Amino acid sequence: MTPRRSVENALLAGPLVLFLLAVLGFPTLLSLIYGFSETSFQTLTTPQFSGLKNFRDVAADPAFWQAAWFSLRFGAITALLQCGLGLALAVYLAPLARRHGWTVAILIIPMIVAPAMMGLMYRLVLHEFAGPVPHYLYSWFGWSPSFLGPANVFKTVVVAETLQWTPFAFLLFLTACQSIPEDLREAAAVDGTRPWRLFWKIELPLMMPTVFVALFIRFIDGFRVFDNIYTLVGAGPGGSTTSMSIYIYETFLRRGEIGKALAAAILLFATAFVVLAAAPRLLRGRSA
Amino acid sequence: MTFKTCLHASVAALAMMASGAVNAEVTVLGWPGGPEETALRAVTEIYNARPDLAAENKVELLFTSRDGFFDKLQVDLAAGSTAFDINLIATYSIGRYAPFMEPITLSDQAGAVFGDTVLKTMQFDGAQYGVPTDLSLHFLYYRSDLIDALLADDAAKAKYSEIAMKHLGKAMEPKAPADWTWEDFVANALYFTQSINPDSPTRYGTVIQAKNLLFNMMVFHSWPRSYGGNWMDDAGAITVDSEAFRTALSQAKMLFDLGATPPDSTSYEYAEANAAYASGQVAAMVQWNAAAGELTAAQAATGTSAPPAGPDGRFTHIHGLGLGLNKAAENKEGAIAFLQWLSTEEAALAYAKAGGAPGLASETAAKLAADRPDLVQVGEYASTYGFVMNGGTSENALSVYEVQAKEFTGYWAGTQDLDTALKNTAAAMTDLLK
Repeated sequence: MTPRRSVENALLAGPLVLFLLAVLGFPTLLSLIYGFSETSFQTLTTPQFSGLKNFRDVAADPAFWQAAWFSLRFGAITALLQCGLGLALAVYLAPLARRHGWTVAILIIPMIVAPAMMGLMYRLVLHEFAGPVPHYLYSWFGWSPSFLGPANVFKTVVVAETLQWTPFAFLLFLTACQSIPEDLREAAAVDGTRPWRLFWKIELPLMMPTVFVALFIRFIDGFRVFDNIYTLVGAGPGGSTTSMSIYIYETFLRRGEIGKALAAAILLFATAFVVLAAAPRLLRGRSA
Repeated sequence: MTFKTCLHASVAALAMMASGAVNAEVTVLGWPGGPEETALRAVTEIYNARPDLAAENKVELLFTSRDGFFDKLQVDLAAGSTAFDINLIATYSIGRYAPFMEPITLSDQAGAVFGDTVLKTMQFDGAQYGVPTDLSLHFLYYRSDLIDALLADDAAKAKYSEIAMKHLGKAMEPKAPADWTWEDFVANALYFTQSINPDSPTRYGTVIQAKNLLFNMMVFHSWPRSYGGNWMDDAGAITVDSEAFRTALSQAKMLFDLGATPPDSTSYEYAEANAAYASGQVAAMVQWNAAAGELTAAQAATGTSAPPAGPDGRFTHIHGLGLGLNKAAENKEGAIAFLQWLSTEEAALAYAKAGGAPGLASETAAKLAADRPDLVQVGEYASTYGFVMNGGTSENALSVYEVQAKEFTGYWAGTQDLDTALKNTAAAMTDLLK
């Protein structure tokens, strides 16, 4: 690269770099300062350096581990459910989607709704006295499960998340399924391969990289869930539906423990960074 | 259209927007989406119509959303926002916001209009931080048609006693709600629950709003307070792990365990609990006074009383909403003038007539007896039964409510036992109120 070209590149990339530094760099720097300081709303401009105290407080807080366990379970279960359902739908509906593209538009409608709105909608729909679902269950069977009661609330938020985001997985798998060369399927059919075996031995192995990417994206999204759970049931009785994001939000704004909240956010970021760094290596390993 | 024309049009549009922004010089951030907003709009119109008011002191109102309102306000105040000159405050948050606000002097009429008890709901460290605009406390709402039928039916009374004997260990007699103790409240809730009494006309005897939310703890506090419960004693020692709190929490837990409150009421807040009562499937509930209109409209045979009594008497949690001065306000003079006018009798009466719920001294409230009889009841209950827990206006009062909401709802939902809930609460409160 010539020096002249190098200067041109720097000039062209400069505004973007400055923009990113302003938008991402400044909050990150501030979070790091506050994460290592004793800070409250009264001392935002005069944080006192406190070393690793906030990190020790976070590690000693049972609520943090409860939130981490909730997020881990929620992220893993919803990712598996969404990818399982999305894959089944994509393979089953691929011929229909090929002929009538508009059916895909209908199937992805839940994805368009803002998660917070989805939470509010379920809060109304599942309310025992105002919601249509319990109303009809009572009318027809004289009984309705308490969808948002302590015994069912985890299942309910898992189902709500799955219903909203399965279309995302479906879309990825449909694209992957449609990109498989048709002559492979035709050759298998000529050899007398049955549909299940065709899927299991040819289509699924070719779609595996997409499956891993989808699982990964959905797990990350599930792990950092906030809006729909917070608007639906809040932090839950005894903190039973407190995800990591809800924990950080409540620690920051409700309890005013800014340093501790940001220490938890830094830990979450570090964990996500390690996973993100390891994921491509894992994927490359699978492809090889 | 040429580039030059576009530029001129844009400059003109910006100038119009800018001139609109400077028309109203006193900006008020109010409590959105309820009777408080309607009332504030009404009195602001009256104030802005005053002929002696300078254009630069006219008032403009700002409303956001109730969701996360106090969190957003805290961030704005801490950041020294000049987006508003006057902001909402509540009794339980004064201590937290006081460092970012300025004390004010109210009009000479304020003492006579509101009375000292109500003015104190807007004070912190002896200084007046706001004009009290709305007073909140709790009523016991009950279905008078169902209670009357129960009191008139000997067979029903016998059934009531049998249920009380089975679950509370004593054969109790039904009473009029005005005479209820918390034990009567529990017995009544059990009697009107279909899973316990299949003949009950309602599915549930009561509804306890038990979402992990600080406001729900305020509704609950009247219960332990009537057994002598408090947050701290006079020496500052935390007293939450007491027999009073144990009794109240256990009695409420019994209602959850026996299905006398809807199973998903651990996710209910104000609106959901009201919807439950309004459906006609709940016999009685303790709820904010602000719900009176909504509940009475939905169930015409609704009676109201002060919350049930305990061995220490009858109590209701009390707190006020008000408006105070932002330390970073750009038009302090205009803002103070508006706040002083709000504390006059003229403004208080107009605010009440427009649907607000100010806590008024008896002489002022009497002037509204025809238009707002409920305000007379609110004033009477506030002065007779009103209480604020020791530490209830401290800097960390909101955090204390948060801790209690998490721990107590956890106990009711069965995720932890009573000892753990109270131990965790006492430990956190010791840290927060030290």
